Formats: sequence, structure tokens, C-alpha cells
Amino acid sequence: MTDSNEQAYLWNRFSLREALLLGFCATFIILTRAGLRLHLHMPGHVMFFTMFFFLLARGFVPKIGAVTLVGLITSLASVLLGMGMGGPMVLVKFLLPALVVEVAGAIAPAFVGSMLACAAVGVIASVIRVGASTALEWLIGMEQEIMLKKALFSAVMNGLYGGLGSLAVPSIIRRLRKNGLIDQGPDGER
Amino acid sequence: MHRLGAGWKIAVGTVLSALAVGARTPAELLALVLVTLCYFFAARLTLFDLWRDVRYLVLQGIVVTGLYCLVHGVALGLWPGIRTSVQIILFYIPGAVFLRTTRSRDVMAGLGRVIPYRLCFLVFVCVRFVPYFLREIEEISAAQRLRGARLLPRQLLNPANWPDLFNCLLLPLMVRALKTADEVSRSAEAREFGIRKQRTFLAVCAPSKTGSPANNEPPAAPAEEPQLCRHQNP
Repeated sequence: MTDSNEQAYLWNRFSLREALLLGFCATFIILTRAGLRLHLHMPGHVMFFTMFFFLLARGFVPKIGAVTLVGLITSLASVLLGMGMGGPMVLVKFLLPALVVEVAGAIAPAFVGSMLACAAVGVIASVIRVGASTALEWLIGMEQEIMLKKALFSAVMNGLYGGLGSLAVPSIIRRLRKNGLIDQGPDGER
Repeated sequence: MHRLGAGWKIAVGTVLSALAVGARTPAELLALVLVTLCYFFAARLTLFDLWRDVRYLVLQGIVVTGLYCLVHGVALGLWPGIRTSVQIILFYIPGAVFLRTTRSRDVMAGLGRVIPYRLCFLVFVCVRFVPYFLREIEEISAAQRLRGARLLPRQLLNPANWPDLFNCLLLPLMVRALKTADEVSRSAEAREFGIRKQRTFLAVCAPSKTGSPANNEPPAAPAEEPQLCRHQNP
């Protein structure tokens, strides 16, 4: 539970405990990414756990900027651990879905409690992630028809996995709140 | 190449990636392939390293070229397909060189110069706790499997077993993460971590010399405790 006496550690917004918790969410994304790399090579499967932990981070720390921080830490740690061959693309690939979750959080602060809202945000954020690689292909000069076909396939796979991963978030958040491990949901944005 | 600074490698990589995006004619592409390969092999990397880095991109290239041939026919679609595929591969090779030739601590030192130290600390914590949480996952998973949870990798391929993944593994893991965040933050705050804007260091000062005792007798008074000099800015 959040202590009212906690001092702001980062961006005058997050206490050290919250920042560490968000850092741990990034650790879990890295862990699952590395684990899935060893077993599966299916397009879009990375979004399953990425969206799960992004939305969970939003549930743990219901403040604007929390998910962006997770995305930022994940991308920097990916580069550090040798998982980010795309350079700046890695940053964009994690920050784009994180920003979608932020926007959803700004519109409906308590959306992580709803399964439908989580699934919708998960699908949209995962689909938007495809935009990063599509933008690169567009810059390279790939033909539009082929680019769109490829983007459509990637978007469907990303959206499917992202949506599935997001579905589990509300029940976990509810159980953690019920046991008093996290705050009882935002009454509004802090 | 291994001794080149991380910043220089990022700069060279960015230029090469940008050139890969801009290359259009066969001559430009051929020149860029040669330059990029020279850059790769100058880092004392082998053909096997190259294959390991680009194998999935090659697979993607085959799909893209196949799509081009399918849409335009082999005669018209082969060159644009190959060109696009090669451009995508060339875009990613400088990143692979950077990751293969730069040590984590050099990247960390480079990051420390660019991003605020508080964020840098969080990135370091994220990396530092990877083995810790990996152990936690293994322990929780082993305990839950003994209780009958279906958490083996081949069992998790079946979506019907995914509730077990969330309820028996991820939920306890989240509880553990919450507790760990609590403990680490309390521990750090007890050491006055993060109370100043600048980064601080806990430096241990050398104890003052009391003089060596004569004829190897133990000193009459106990040696002075090392002093902790707090909050020294570099």
C-alpha cells in the first residue's frame, strides 16, 4: 500500500517504492521476452506478456507516466542485455503501446478493473506497435500493397496475443486489492 | 572496434542504418552491403555470428520477396523484393555489431551520461533483479507443480492451462514483487538514498594511523573504526 509519507523519487511523481515496482514490471517483461525467445518464434507472441505487465503496472501505480516509465526501462534494459538489435526502434516499439495505455488511463482512470476495457486497450496498443515496423518499411520504400498485407498479418497476431494477455489483468488486480496489497483503485488521477 | 566508445558505435550505426533506409539503386545497395560487411567483420565477428544475427531477417526477406513475386510476377517482383529485404537486413546489422562489441558496463556508463541517474538506477535495478526473479519463478513454479498446477512448458502450450499460469505462478510472483519493492525501498531510504538531487556515494574513509606497536605487541587501544563519509558528490 502507498504510504502518504513517501518522498517523490522520480519526476516529482513516483516514490522510490513505486519506481522500483515499475522497474520490476520491466524486469518481468524482459524475462518473459527472453524466455519466449528460447521456445517460440511466432509473430506477435511478445505482446502477450508485454501488455499483461503494462496493464498490471497501470494497476499497481495508477498515475500518468507509470506505463511510459515501464516502457522506457524495458527498452533501455533490452539494449543493455543484448536484446535490442533495432536500436531506436526498440524504444519506439515499447513506448508506443505504453503511450496508448497512458491515454486510456487518462480517459478512464479505473479501466484496469474492467475486462472489456483491458482487452480493448491491449488489442489497440498491440496493433499500434506494428506501426513502428510498418513506418520503417514505408521509409525503405516497400510497396504499399505488400506493406499493408504484412502489417495486417502482424497487427492481427499482435492484437490477438495482446488482447489475450490483457484479459487476465482485472482478476489479478482485484485479488491484490482485496488482500490490501495495492491501493483500492484511483478515485481520479493523482 | 571493441575499443571504440559506445557513443561512436551508436553514431556509426545510425549513419549506416539511415543509409540503408535511403539506398535505392543497385550500385548504392552494393556499396552499402560492402561497407556494412566491412564494419561487421572489422569487429572480428565471424560468418556464423552474422548468420545468427540475420537468420530471422533472412526468413522475413524470403517471405517479402515471395509476396513481391506473387503480386508482380517473378520478372518484375524479384528485384524490388530482394532490394527491400536487403535494406531491412542492412538496417539491423549495425545494431547487432553494437550489441556484440559493447560491454554492458560501457553501455551503462554511456547511459549514465545521457539519462538522469535516478532513471539509470532503475534500469540497473531492472537488470540486477533478472536472476533474482528467475530464481523466484523457478521456486514458485516447482512448488505449484507439486500441488498439481499445470505449469510445464508443453502444458502451457494448451490455452486451457493458462488460468494456472496466472493464478498459480504470476499472482504469487506479483505478491513477491510487491514485497521486494517494499523491502528494497525501505532499505534504500534508511540509507538516505535519493534525498539529494545529485548522485551521492557512500565512501569508506581509511582509518587514521595510530602507529605500529613495538615488538609486535597488540595495540593497547582498539583500532579506529572506518568512518563512513556520507553524501560525497563526485
